[in-house]
Amino acid sequence: MSQDGTAVPHSAATDPRPATYYHLAKAVLYREYLIFIRYPANAIGGIVIALFFFGVLFYGGQLLAGQALTDSIEGIIVGYFLWTLSVGAYSAVSNDISSEVQWGTLERHITTPFGFAPVALLKGVAKVIRTFLTSAIVLAVMLVLTGTRLNLDPITVVVVAGLAITSVLGLGFAAGGVTVLYKQIGNWLNLLQFGFVVLVSAPVFALPWMRVLPLAHGSAMLQRAMVDGVRLWEFSITDLGLLVIVAVGYLAVGYTVFHLATRRARRLGVLGDY
Amino acid sequence: MQQDTAIAQHGSVATDSNHNEAIETAVPALKLTNLSKRFGTGDDAIVAVDDVNLTIEPGSIVGLLGPNGAGKTTLIKCALGIIIPDSGSVSVFGNRVDGTRRSAYRDVDAMLEGARNDYWRLTVRENLRYFATIHGIDPNSVTQQHDRLLDRLELTDKADTPVRDLSRGMKQKVSLASVLAGGASLVFLDEPTLGLDVESSRTLQQELRRLAHEDGRTIVLSSHNMDVIERVCDRVVMMANGRIVADDSVNELLSDATRDTVQITSADIDERLVETLIDRFSVTVVGETAAGRTTIEITHAGERLYDVLDVLRNEAVTIDDIRTVQPQLEEVFVNLTGMGSEQTATSGRAE
Repeated sequence: MSQDGTAVPHSAATDPRPATYYHLAKAVLYREYLIFIRYPANAIGGIVIALFFFGVLFYGGQLLAGQALTDSIEGIIVGYFLWTLSVGAYSAVSNDISSEVQWGTLERHITTPFGFAPVALLKGVAKVIRTFLTSAIVLAVMLVLTGTRLNLDPITVVVVAGLAITSVLGLGFAAGGVTVLYKQIGNWLNLLQFGFVVLVSAPVFALPWMRVLPLAHGSAMLQRAMVDGVRLWEFSITDLGLLVIVAVGYLAVGYTVFHLATRRARRLGVLGDY
Repeated sequence: MQQDTAIAQHGSVATDSNHNEAIETAVPALKLTNLSKRFGTGDDAIVAVDDVNLTIEPGSIVGLLGPNGAGKTTLIKCALGIIIPDSGSVSVFGNRVDGTRRSAYRDVDAMLEGARNDYWRLTVRENLRYFATIHGIDPNSVTQQHDRLLDRLELTDKADTPVRDLSRGMKQKVSLASVLAGGASLVFLDEPTLGLDVESSRTLQQELRRLAHEDGRTIVLSSHNMDVIERVCDRVVMMANGRIVADDSVNELLSDATRDTVQITSADIDERLVETLIDRFSVTVVGETAAGRTTIEITHAGERLYDVLDVLRNEAVTIDDIRTVQPQLEEVFVNLTGMGSEQTATSGRAE
C-alpha cells in the first residue's frame, strides 16, 4: 500500500496509476448501471409482479372490505411502497452474494487490495438506488389506480425510506453470509421477505419496543411523512436518531454476520464451493 | 507487523524499477512455510495439505501436478487466503497473506477452475477495466496494456461483446485476460487451457511464456494436461496425498527417468527368449512388427541392462536398435505418485 492508503501494483508496464476508492466506487456503480440498463427485464418483471399483487390486494380487498379498505388506502399504499423497496433491496443483496459465490467472483473480490467490504457496501447503495427507481414507478401507478393523493416531499421520502431499508440491507448481508456457508438455505431465506409485511405494519404505537426491529420505526415515520405531511426536519431528534441507529445497527450487524460467515467458509474451505 | 525487512524494501521501491529488480531477486514471489490444512475431524479427517514448504522465485513458471485429491487446489486456495490453513504461513513477495493481507493481494490474482471468474453480462473490455480497478489500478492508465493483452489473446474483435455471447474457449480466454488485467506479479492459473482448441491453447501457452520471461510475471500453473506443463513450465512441483513428492525442473525430471528405461529391438528375439527375459529381468514387450522384429523394454535398467545384453550376446542376437526412452512427464508423474495413467486424468487432453 502506498502512504495514502491506495493500492500500488507490484509491476508496471507503462506507469499504471493506483486506483483510489473513488475509482472503485465509479467502477462498481457503473457496473450496476450497465447491468440495469442493458438487462431491464428483471426490473420490468419486478414492477409488473408488484403491481399485479397490489391489484389483487386492492380490488380483492374492495370486494371483501368495501369502504373500510378505501378509508385506509393511503396507509396501505405507503406500506406496500416500503415493502416493495424492502424486498427489492433485500433480495438484490442476498441474491447478489449467492451469484457472486457461484460465479467465483466473490473469491476474486476477497483477494484484492480493497477487499469485498467496500464493494459490497457500494453495491448495496446501487441496489437501493435501483430499487427506489422501480418502486417509484410502482408508487405512481398505485396512486393513479386508486385515485389517491399523498405528500411526496422528495427529501423526506428518500431519507426516511432510504434509512428504513438500510436495516433490510443488513438482513440481506446476513442472509448472503449464511448462504455462503450453507448453500441450500439461500432459497429458503428468500421467504423472509414476506416477513417484512409484519415489520412494515408493526404496531409500534401500541408496542414501542418494536421500533428497534428493522423497518418498523421507519415505516411509522414514512406513514407520518407521506400521509400526514410531516417533513424531515419536523420529526423529533429522538425519532431521527432512532431511525439512524436502527439503520446503521442492522447494517453493521448484518455485515459482521457476513464477514464471520465468509471467514468460517474460508476456514472450512467451502467459500465458492457451490 | 508481520513483515520482514525485505518486504518493507519491496514495498518502498515500487517506483524504482532498477532497485526493484534487485529486490525481486532477493524476495521470493511465493513462500509457503510448513503449510498444513485438514478438513473434518476424527477418523473422517482428510489431510489436504501436509506440512508443505515451497519457495517460488519471481519470473518463473511453475507447474503444479497431482492426481485428483492430491491437494493442489487447496494449496492454491491457501496461498490466496481463500482457505485459511490450520498451520504454517504464506508470503507473497514477502507480505504475509494472513497478516498484511491487503498488501499481499496487490501482487497476486488467480483464475480458478470451475468458476466464471468474471461477469458475463459485461463486455470483455468492461471486465478488464473492472477487474483492473478492484485490483488497485486506475483502468484509464492501462488502456494500452489492455489493448495489447486483448491482441495477444486474440480477443480484440470481441472486445465490445458481452462475455455471455462468446464461445466456451473465448470465455476461458476472457477469464485469463481479466486475471492479467490488474497487473498482478504472481498469477495462479488452474486448468487455463481447459476447453480451448489446439490453436488457442498454443497461443495461450506462448503468452504464458512471454508473460514470465519478458514481463517477469510469476505463474503457478495447475493442470492435468502434462503436455502443457511440459511445454510451458520451467519447474514442476508434483503433489500426492497433500505432500510434495517431486520438485525439480522439467528437464531434470525427464532426464532422471530417461537414464532408467532402455528399449532394444531385434529380429532375433523369439518367444522362448522373451519368456527367459521376462522371467529373469521383468522386461516388457512393447512392439512386434510383421517383419518379425521384437522390441523389449527394460525399466529401472541400471546394472540389469548389462545382464540383459550378456544374455542377448550369448543367444547370438543381433541388435537392430538400442535406445534410451524419451519419457513423457506423465510417466514420471505415474512413477512418483503411484497413480495409474487413468488417474492422471485426461480432462486436459481437449486439445
